[in-house]
Amino acid sequence: MTTRTMLFKLAFVDSIPVLMGYSTMGFAAGMLLAVQGEIAWAPFWGMVTSAAFESGPLQYLFVDWVRTTLAIGSVLLVTLCVNFRYSLYGLSLIERFQCASRWQKAYLIGTITDETYAIQTSSRLTGKRYVTYCFLLTMLDHFYWIVGVTLGAAVGVLAKDLFSPERMQSFTKGIDFSMTALFLVILTDQVRERPGRIPAVIGFAAALLSCLAFGRANMLIPTVLAILTAFLLLRRWLDD
Amino acid sequence: MTNKAGYAFTVLVTVGALSYLLRALPFLLFGGRKEPPQIVRYVGRMLSPAAIAMLVVYCFAGLSVPEIKTPITLLAPYLAGVLTIALQLWKRNPLISILLGTVLYMALVQ
Repeated sequence: MTTRTMLFKLAFVDSIPVLMGYSTMGFAAGMLLAVQGEIAWAPFWGMVTSAAFESGPLQYLFVDWVRTTLAIGSVLLVTLCVNFRYSLYGLSLIERFQCASRWQKAYLIGTITDETYAIQTSSRLTGKRYVTYCFLLTMLDHFYWIVGVTLGAAVGVLAKDLFSPERMQSFTKGIDFSMTALFLVILTDQVRERPGRIPAVIGFAAALLSCLAFGRANMLIPTVLAILTAFLLLRRWLDD
Repeated sequence: MTNKAGYAFTVLVTVGALSYLLRALPFLLFGGRKEPPQIVRYVGRMLSPAAIAMLVVYCFAGLSVPEIKTPITLLAPYLAGVLTIALQLWKRNPLISILLGTVLYMALVQ
């Protein structure tokens, strides 16, 4: 068995939990896009966005964005807040990816996710072998996500063709809760750890007030400004 | 429809570029292994839970208002939300929490 085959096997085995998660979550996000996104060619848009964003939250939010055609400024602000943590992940990968070639590095950087990062940083491989392993793992994870979203959107489109709009609307009613549930789950895991609690309370309070004051469509920018202001004012007590 | 496609394309390009830039930032700025300023680390650590909490509120506010207002349809988001959180605290399996929470919500509003 060549080293490459061995590394592929290793990467595949390590990626199985991600396969379960990404294919199903991706499928649900793709389906939501087809059913509620009110956009033609949903599987195409699902495929290109999942390949480019590789992010669960953004994939679900994309449905909301195309339905309401939210202002691009707000869209980018949300992207910035949701994905800012990836800028910190990269810090611990700089050294590890040093043996990667230019294009390998370009791909590895563009596809960092919570799950892929967690597996990559727990591997004990080193040097070239480590980079090859990471590359294969990343490709598998990326592939699961794209296939999940695209298939979900395709099934959603088929279902829309098979059933009348009224029936479709009646039995998919409430499916939009899956996005709320996704964020509730992420939040639950974050506040399980003590350091996540105060920022979560600040975010929650700022969002609630902005939503009441400015309405849902205009709440995001004031919320982020309020959050950042609170962080800076409270830094003396919160930064350790 | 063409407008929608144009909008989707704009989102694809801008969000795609920003996502890539954020992931690449440490490699671009700190490739020479410099530590980022303390304040960047602080905001980075704090921002994620706050942003997710903001999105929870944003999503709750975006759920469609039921046409038939009964105590059950009005309470549905809260009941399903509590179930989702409880399952996640207990089982720690995101798929189960999201699936059962959504199924409960759909059952209640239908």
